[in-house]
Amino acid sequence: MQKSIPLLMIVPSLLMAMAIIGYPILDLAWTSSQEVSRFGKLTGFAGWENFAEVFGDQLFWDSLWRTGIWTFFVVVGTLAVSLPVAIILNDDFYGRGLARVIIMLPWSVSLTMTAVVWRWALNGRAGLLNATLMDIGIIDQPVEWLATASTAFVVEILVGILVSIPFTTTILLGGLSAMPQDTYEAAMVDGASGWHQFRYITLPLMKPFINIAIVLNVIYVFNSLPIIWVMTEGGPANGTDILVTYLYKLAFRFGQLGKAAAISLIMFGVLLVFTLLYVALVSRGEEDAAPEDEKEA
Amino acid sequence: MSRKLTRSLLYWLFLSPLVVVILFPFGVMFVTAIRPRDEIFTYPPTWGFSEFRWTNFSEMWVKTNFGGALMNSIYVSVLATAIALLLAIPAAYAMSRYRFAGKGLYRNFLLMTQMMSPIVLVLGLFRLMMAMGLVNDLNSLVVTYAAFNLAFTIWMLQSYFNSIPRDLEEAAWIDGASHLTSLVRIFLPLAVPAMVVAAIFTFINSWNEFVLALTLMRSSEDFTLPVQIYAQVAGRYQVEWHHVMAGTVLATVPVAIVFSWLQRYLIRGMALGAVK
Amino acid sequence: MSSVTIRGIRKKYGSMDVLHGIDLDIRDQEFVVLVGPSGCGKSTLLRMIAGLESVSSGDIMIGERVVNDVPAKSRDIAMVFQNYALYPHMSVYENMSFSLRLRKQAKEMIDRKVREAASILNLTSYLERSPRQLSGGQRQRVAMGRALVRDAQVFLFDEPLSNLDAKLRVVMRTEIKALHQRLKTTSVYVTHDQIEAMTMADRIVVMNAGRIEQIGTPLQLYDTPANLFVADFIGSPSMNVLPGTLRAEGGAVWVEIADGLRLPVPAAHAARAGQKVVFGIRPEHTLLADAGSGIPLEVEVVEPTGANIQVYAKIGGAHLCAIFTDRHEFRPGDLIHLAFPEAKIHLFDAASGMRL
Repeated sequence: MQKSIPLLMIVPSLLMAMAIIGYPILDLAWTSSQEVSRFGKLTGFAGWENFAEVFGDQLFWDSLWRTGIWTFFVVVGTLAVSLPVAIILNDDFYGRGLARVIIMLPWSVSLTMTAVVWRWALNGRAGLLNATLMDIGIIDQPVEWLATASTAFVVEILVGILVSIPFTTTILLGGLSAMPQDTYEAAMVDGASGWHQFRYITLPLMKPFINIAIVLNVIYVFNSLPIIWVMTEGGPANGTDILVTYLYKLAFRFGQLGKAAAISLIMFGVLLVFTLLYVALVSRGEEDAAPEDEKEA
Repeated sequence: MSRKLTRSLLYWLFLSPLVVVILFPFGVMFVTAIRPRDEIFTYPPTWGFSEFRWTNFSEMWVKTNFGGALMNSIYVSVLATAIALLLAIPAAYAMSRYRFAGKGLYRNFLLMTQMMSPIVLVLGLFRLMMAMGLVNDLNSLVVTYAAFNLAFTIWMLQSYFNSIPRDLEEAAWIDGASHLTSLVRIFLPLAVPAMVVAAIFTFINSWNEFVLALTLMRSSEDFTLPVQIYAQVAGRYQVEWHHVMAGTVLATVPVAIVFSWLQRYLIRGMALGAVK
Repeated sequence: MSSVTIRGIRKKYGSMDVLHGIDLDIRDQEFVVLVGPSGCGKSTLLRMIAGLESVSSGDIMIGERVVNDVPAKSRDIAMVFQNYALYPHMSVYENMSFSLRLRKQAKEMIDRKVREAASILNLTSYLERSPRQLSGGQRQRVAMGRALVRDAQVFLFDEPLSNLDAKLRVVMRTEIKALHQRLKTTSVYVTHDQIEAMTMADRIVVMNAGRIEQIGTPLQLYDTPANLFVADFIGSPSMNVLPGTLRAEGGAVWVEIADGLRLPVPAAHAARAGQKVVFGIRPEHTLLADAGSGIPLEVEVVEPTGANIQVYAKIGGAHLCAIFTDRHEFRPGDLIHLAFPEAKIHLFDAASGMRL
């Protein structure tokens, strides 16, 4: 009886998560093996047919390639900006509170709204980005930012970086604020310069947090639909499609449920790999913290 | 000049490009939302405008059914938050206070659900809700948002629960309190701050969610705010940008203010809950 | 008030044994201190008496009642925690009255008891404060007050003074002892500090690695430690222990330690000649002797404390501490001679560590 109390406490949340997050995966697996009629009706077993179709589809490979580029540049770009920003925000300076609020601001706005605003700001005729750039003399006439796939994709990556900065900075700040102060004092006494402190103390101690920030960002960015969907819907001419936008079109525009399910499963597989990586990272951190846990118990 | 002052100037100089880029969309939002309609498509484009047209907001409210979408968003976010909390509190308590078989497994399962984004499951979820007759029913969003926010809510709460000393409850038992009494009179009052913070973050997540709302709500009277604003932009020949921007201002600013106020708690939740 | 009886108590965490069968009788009105190094199981034992840990096997009785399966709330005990465990969202008054309110006692009765306890503990003017606003010593008093209002059968203390600074610890030690002399409530007190144990206890239970090493009054433990562990644990600085072999020849009996030094011991040990033993002498029992009769030692470190001087010296490859109340001007490198009075000598079997 005593033993079942904690189990009873977790069961409701477990059931909920199973039903809403577990069941759809099974359904996707089932759907991916089905033949689908023009009208989105499942008509019978198709074996690996849908997967074969996906792998024979040039658009899939293009989207996959673009997903790779999108994920890589957004994650790397985000980290490159967030690390110095986090270090600055962790230091004491006038207006730090305000700076923190501003840097975190994009997080509070839904990606959809952000993308809608940028879509308007980048408008080729009347967008205020053009107005700004013309005012300071960088360009002479308005640029159609979203009309060609190559510039649109670059712009989308930049927006992607912008919205990922708050989350990443937060994780890194968490790591920095947990950094033991006496280590720095010891290093200063040992005669370490600012750069040495960063290179030999901050960076190594931050490594677990950087790793976790990278893995989580890869997962989030890989999955992110709203920015590209709202700004270009994967267009023009599928030129900015990544896996999620392509998947969404297949499922809800073209009714190709089997194919869409197959892509979902492939993405699920990729996510699983990254999740396991994350679990490994987290539990490694946990082993380090184990003695403290024992004390509590 | 003190060292701190020099440092501050240097830091702000370094941060300024980022600050400009972050504030830029907010500027665009406001400036477009309050300018007269016929000054939107001027050529060459310019930041300037002739007057503050506050009536854009009231016009937008009526024309785009903003109030309806607002009510939908509130309904979904409040209920999703309530359910997520209700399920997360006992789970977080169990994770924080008991050792039990399968604890590690459950933890990893939660991590897994946290990693699954709605987009990967959207087709399966759509078929599930279809089968249950919940498409075009706001309650389908309520349950999915609650489920997708469970893991994070449990982490947040658990990390805070861990910081409430166990001996407070033990002292209560020795003082003659039953488990339930000590929970209600000692533990929960101390956990209120964490519950408030977790609730607000779940609320904001639900408020901002796009993919599921876009997929599961097919008719315009069920739209939540993000979908409703998106719908005024997508696939239209003529977009009323001043209305769209007025809508984003109203949908965004209150949330941004609450969030700014709470962001320091997030750092703690992240550092202790999700990462550690 | 009531006795506490412990019969064959074991505690397992998974496959790990924390307590290996403890037997202990705590008499009514007695103040018993459980002492031992950290991890010896003393806190676990206390928490089992409190009902905060389950019993793997054996029986715990409070008075005549077996309480193994009685939840903490019904055992009628009070406990003072190491970190005080004051309810942070309640005032001092609410903290102290919580247990009485749970029992639905009359308002006037609660008020009378809380004020009585507060005046004993000098807390009367702090009753409306929150624990946050109190100093460490005051928090400690509130924790005691919470126990006091209860008229509980047994008081349990779990290292209650370990978070206080050294001075305050001494003051509170005396206060707790005075309080016990006044109330006479049966008390079980856990500490790792042997001085606390010696000064406060009616009887001390020395524990090590999940077992009881010795039970006795403070002076019994000091004068006749049952084994090397107790000998080493009780007393500060610790007893000097010198391993060697027992020899007897023509009426003289001695322990031969390294370098062939001979330490005379009582003739009663003659029968054990040849046995490997450990010779023990407390630092405060060493005497200065003449060059002819004493054992020669080379002074290494001299530490004056004001009340006495502690001398660390080399003896036959080992080190020894001696305490003198007279002021001697020793310097490192000096040669001194010591004598060890026979009545103060302790002998232990080297293999078992047991007293001979």
